[in-house]
Amino acid sequence: MHPLSIHVPAAAGSTDIMAVANSPLVWACALGVFAVIFVQTFIYIKAARRTAPEIGMPAKELSGAFRAGAVASIGPSLAVVLVAIALLALFGTPAVLVRIGLIGSAATETASAGIAATSMGATLGGHDYTQQVFAVAFMAMSLSGGMWMLATLLLTPILKRGGKRLAQVSPAAMAIIPCAALLGAFSMLAIAEMPKSWVHLITLLVSAAVMTGCLLLAKKLHASWLKEWALGFAIIVALAVAFVAHTS
Amino acid sequence: MSTQSLDRAEAGMAAFEASTSRWGRITMLAGLVLSLIGPIYLVVFGGLDITSGQIWIAFLAVAATFGVFWIVEPLTYFPILGSAAMYQAFMIGNISNKLLPAAIVAQSSIGARPGTKRGDLAAVMAICGAATVHLTSLLIFVGLLGTWLMTRIPPGLIEVARLYILPALMGAVLIQCIATMKQIRPTVIALALALVVQFALVPALPKAAMFATAIVVVCTILASWFLRNRNIDHTAAIEDIPAIQENEVR
Repeated sequence: MHPLSIHVPAAAGSTDIMAVANSPLVWACALGVFAVIFVQTFIYIKAARRTAPEIGMPAKELSGAFRAGAVASIGPSLAVVLVAIALLALFGTPAVLVRIGLIGSAATETASAGIAATSMGATLGGHDYTQQVFAVAFMAMSLSGGMWMLATLLLTPILKRGGKRLAQVSPAAMAIIPCAALLGAFSMLAIAEMPKSWVHLITLLVSAAVMTGCLLLAKKLHASWLKEWALGFAIIVALAVAFVAHTS
Repeated sequence: MSTQSLDRAEAGMAAFEASTSRWGRITMLAGLVLSLIGPIYLVVFGGLDITSGQIWIAFLAVAATFGVFWIVEPLTYFPILGSAAMYQAFMIGNISNKLLPAAIVAQSSIGARPGTKRGDLAAVMAICGAATVHLTSLLIFVGLLGTWLMTRIPPGLIEVARLYILPALMGAVLIQCIATMKQIRPTVIALALALVVQFALVPALPKAAMFATAIVVVCTILASWFLRNRNIDHTAAIEDIPAIQENEVR
């Protein structure tokens, strides 16, 4: 055997997924990805701190934006955590951390793994879900996620040059494009949820109603903290309604 | 703003872009390599008798489904994120359901519009905040406590979170987005186009569902541009003066 081989009873026919999924090197790489993102975050914060005074932006606004982003992501992060825990049995902790928690999303990555398993004539979690099938599915998920990163690495500099030229030719375009893109993206993402089921529709409407209420209240009471927490409240209330509607 | 301070602001932003682009690329490459070492190790040294043919077939099957998104998603999100945040977003993942909402909340809480210098810095800081919360909660609740929590959380709760997290999030985010932009025309255009794509185009052409978001984003940009109110000086927003933005949008 190769000296790097895993010191567990690994075999192509074994269905003991956790024996390979939790091997130390896979764990080390997963934690390495976390470390890289922490380093990136640190570098970006430092760069923003250096730039803010130059553009006349108070340091208070920078830390306010950081806090707002952190608070707004509590709800979505806990949702990702819940889904990730549900998938632990299928992929093991390190693969779930990197593929579902970071880089990809639960929907895409589980679908990729399922497609890869099917290409080997097996099903995820089935009696034919062997260590070999897991490794191929993990590899396919990682390669697909890698292609997203590769595309980002290659396209961003090109798009940036295009954006710079556009800004010179027409400053108005640069004021309109980001707003229009954001409104277009979220209109489509929200409306795409409507026809899925009546519970989806109710959940969407409740979430929108809670947000509207919070924003009106925040304006009336001049409570800017409410703007930051509104997203969390909306998610919790909407999910509670969905829970009742789904189980009744 | 005086010409001098405007020059200084331009130079400051240019330095920010240069620094984040360089480090963004370096960290993303490191993340890419690290994310591939694990599975490559299992496939090559795991003693699992995996052939390169099996990998190729699995990869091509996945590429046939998601290959288009590798290109379309970066193109769709670039106008929203800007180049600095691109390197963060595509490594942290969960862009539409976590990072963009975080950026919108941050921009609305300090009253900055996307595409402005203040808006860009606010978005980057918001994504940093979101990343910190997200990484910490993953490390604690999945990495450390995951296998224990697996046996404790009622399956019904996980099921509801999995099924309905998107509508629970998107309803609120769309409202916040509309409230932050305060731009009636692009809002009406975006909603109308999304309804047409969802209820007319997708039923007629099911394959279009894959591109739905990209189609609506591109068409909203074009329609908002050609149908813009030409009496408004849109360049004012670029100058990043909140007072002018307030007057402009009401």
